[in-house]
Amino acid sequence: MKPARVALVLLSAIVPFVWAHAQDGPPANRPASAQAAPTPPPRRGGAGAGGEYKAYDAATLEQGKKVYTANCAFCHGGNAKGGETGPDLLRSLTVLHDENGELISQVVLNGRPDKGMPKFNLPPDQVADIAAFLHDGVRAAAQRGTYKILDILVGDPKAGEAYFNGPGGCTSCHSVTGDLAHIASKYDPVNLQQKVVMPREGRFGRAAGPAAASGTAITATVTTPSGEVVNGLLGRIDDFSVTVTDQSGKPHTFTRDGDVPKVEIHDPMKGHFALLKQYTDADIHNLTAYLETLK
Amino acid sequence: MNLARIVLAIGVTAAPTLLPAQMLDPALLQKQPTDAWPTYNGDYSGRRFSPLSQINQSNISNLKLAWSYKAKPGETPGSQVGGEGAAVKPGEGGGNPFGVSIKATPLMVNGVLYFTTPDNTWAVDARTGQEIWHYFWRTRGGIHIGNRGVGMYNNWLFFETPDNYLVSLDAKTGKERWHKEIADVKQEYFSTPAPIIVDNHVIVGTGGDSLDVPGFLESRDPETGDLQWKWWSEPMKKGDPGAESWPDEYSMRHGGGMTWIPGTYDPDLKLYYVGTGNPNPVMAGQSRKGTDLFTCSIVALDIATGKMKWYFQASPHDTHDWDSAQTPVLFDGTVNGQPRKLLAQANRNGYFFVLDRVTGKNILSYPFLETMNWSKGVDANGSPIPDPAKEPQVAGVLVSPPSGGATNWPPPSFDPETGLFYVGTSASYSVFYLTDTDPHPEGYGAAERNSGGLGSTLRAIDYHTGKTVWRHDFPGGGTAGLLTTAGKLLFAGDSSQHLIAFDPATGKILWHTDLKGSIANGPETYTLDGKQYLVVGAGDSLQAFTLGQ
Repeated sequence: MKPARVALVLLSAIVPFVWAHAQDGPPANRPASAQAAPTPPPRRGGAGAGGEYKAYDAATLEQGKKVYTANCAFCHGGNAKGGETGPDLLRSLTVLHDENGELISQVVLNGRPDKGMPKFNLPPDQVADIAAFLHDGVRAAAQRGTYKILDILVGDPKAGEAYFNGPGGCTSCHSVTGDLAHIASKYDPVNLQQKVVMPREGRFGRAAGPAAASGTAITATVTTPSGEVVNGLLGRIDDFSVTVTDQSGKPHTFTRDGDVPKVEIHDPMKGHFALLKQYTDADIHNLTAYLETLK
Repeated sequence: MNLARIVLAIGVTAAPTLLPAQMLDPALLQKQPTDAWPTYNGDYSGRRFSPLSQINQSNISNLKLAWSYKAKPGETPGSQVGGEGAAVKPGEGGGNPFGVSIKATPLMVNGVLYFTTPDNTWAVDARTGQEIWHYFWRTRGGIHIGNRGVGMYNNWLFFETPDNYLVSLDAKTGKERWHKEIADVKQEYFSTPAPIIVDNHVIVGTGGDSLDVPGFLESRDPETGDLQWKWWSEPMKKGDPGAESWPDEYSMRHGGGMTWIPGTYDPDLKLYYVGTGNPNPVMAGQSRKGTDLFTCSIVALDIATGKMKWYFQASPHDTHDWDSAQTPVLFDGTVNGQPRKLLAQANRNGYFFVLDRVTGKNILSYPFLETMNWSKGVDANGSPIPDPAKEPQVAGVLVSPPSGGATNWPPPSFDPETGLFYVGTSASYSVFYLTDTDPHPEGYGAAERNSGGLGSTLRAIDYHTGKTVWRHDFPGGGTAGLLTTAGKLLFAGDSSQHLIAFDPATGKILWHTDLKGSIANGPETYTLDGKQYLVVGAGDSLQAFTLGQ
């Protein structure tokens, strides 16, 4: 029916159209796990705007937490999200509008007698430390790219092993004594899970470079009406052309008109994408727990 | 059709006889013009259907590039400059960390195109593509992700900035008239919508999901910028309508519900329709148990007062960032043989909804995305029932669609001649990991990792059944915004920078061209000097096509 039908059916893993930006703030991509948390870009002030927040050094933050805990946590909670008597400071307009402690110090030094908050006679450097601690708390909430994935090892390794050898169909490509031997020593649980569930991790471009080397790249076979056959790594493909790069590294581009020329696409990760429609969440958790035993 | 006839019956507040060259006759907004594109969707209905047919199936092969304009954002020599932020070096600024992308739908009025990117507004000659003026806004910050364009009232233009100012310019000169702060950038609000002008109302929405703030829609006076009314997306106190859907006042006042895509309007009913964003905290729902009204909803507001007449919730207690801001498209159709005033929306959560736009009563809820796995059907009101097992968990849950959605902001189209609703969709999965287990989470509260795409598709949906009548699966990815015309053409784009014309009845590809830039908005069309133009944004360029000889 559709011109490109044959190709499309095979083409499970090709680049998604990425909703360039879903209006949710900066893209949430990367890091793949907590280990690779990026350093926020430096900014002129403490409060944020547009996902940009000042980065404080660890010593300042530690000191800030100490001073905060000693003086503020009793009312505002240990994490500054509010306590029984004091409001959430991470949502406080005073904190959000403060740059370097200038607004926060007003409240600390004068208190809020109308609301029952006493004065705190703290030296300026300690107020600045509190400000740093609070600003970093706001940053930690607002910058989702830095969120840390927690302990995901909740599955049953035995059930995971059964899934691996049974319904998962994993053994048709993988062996725990072969390619997956010691796999758990190479990846932490989060990355290990993502290798299985999202082998291309939603990357914009098609697999190339490292993927080609590791045998996970998408390849295509193009057969022209005259019988010419070209095999190679799949490059760009759309309704009007397809490019494959042969073993010598030479790219071949063909104009497409419906089913001419014939394009067959081979995705080594096809099995992983097929599982997306079959997995239960328990299967994923169990499989992760099992693979994690392969130290 | 029906809608147009009714629209004509509505009184026009001002009917100027002699218009300065730039002036938008407000009457233009009350009917569907063919010699202008005077509001975000071309008319109030959101159909993005043009009755023009000079460009049609028989001559589409002669469609040629007439001109191309390359936008150069930033504080350039000769720019008008405004804003509350610091000066930038010449040639810098324009804050486009994701690259310059014209996501605006330009307005075309009296031979001039007006469009935006974040912090920038241009006037360009619609006949030649020559720049007339450029205005640059010195920003205080805010997420510079996109801007959907300007609104126009007589000789005044209105646009919003990433740091949440409504700015009014003189359309003739680009000189600023005034600016008004509408939201606080320090609370991570950022504004992208194109203001919609209805009578003497400038309808303004906003966005922002990072710090748990309430969404709103407001109306401002076109002359002064003063607030006329403000509608909050949530109840603000116990006892207000919808308050029972939140655990407490604190959660509702930090409950999200952003209004970041321009809405639609029925001049007969005097109702403005807008989709609201997801609740906050975005993906950690433990502090906001309940359905979280009126987030993830389609609401109908009285244009004069901002009072809500009805709502329909598309994603009760959303935890996947599926705002329901997608364009609510208005058309008159039939249901069981009876004529009805309808509203249809292809929602980010994977459902296609048809509502009675007079009452808000649900007529159809149909899951158009085959991989959708988060819902256990729909309730008596037609609202999908979320599966609690698919809320983000520490160990991860696999959900389709991902937060980016089955569809998103690129405009859909409804063609009254085929009776089909067209929308670009995307199939994919994400694992959602709850990262904030505190009883009071903040921000997003969860991390998301995406599986990669299972394909993107242009769909033609029958509004009677919700079923996809035909589909085009893009081999390498698509689609941006859509346009249908009486020339029996459906314009779309793919991720290989092609602008493509389809047969709206069958999905057959009739024509394509390489824009040499990623198609970034919805194409639009109008006639000028008797010639039909097709205009589309491609990356940082605006391109106009006409029939060659």
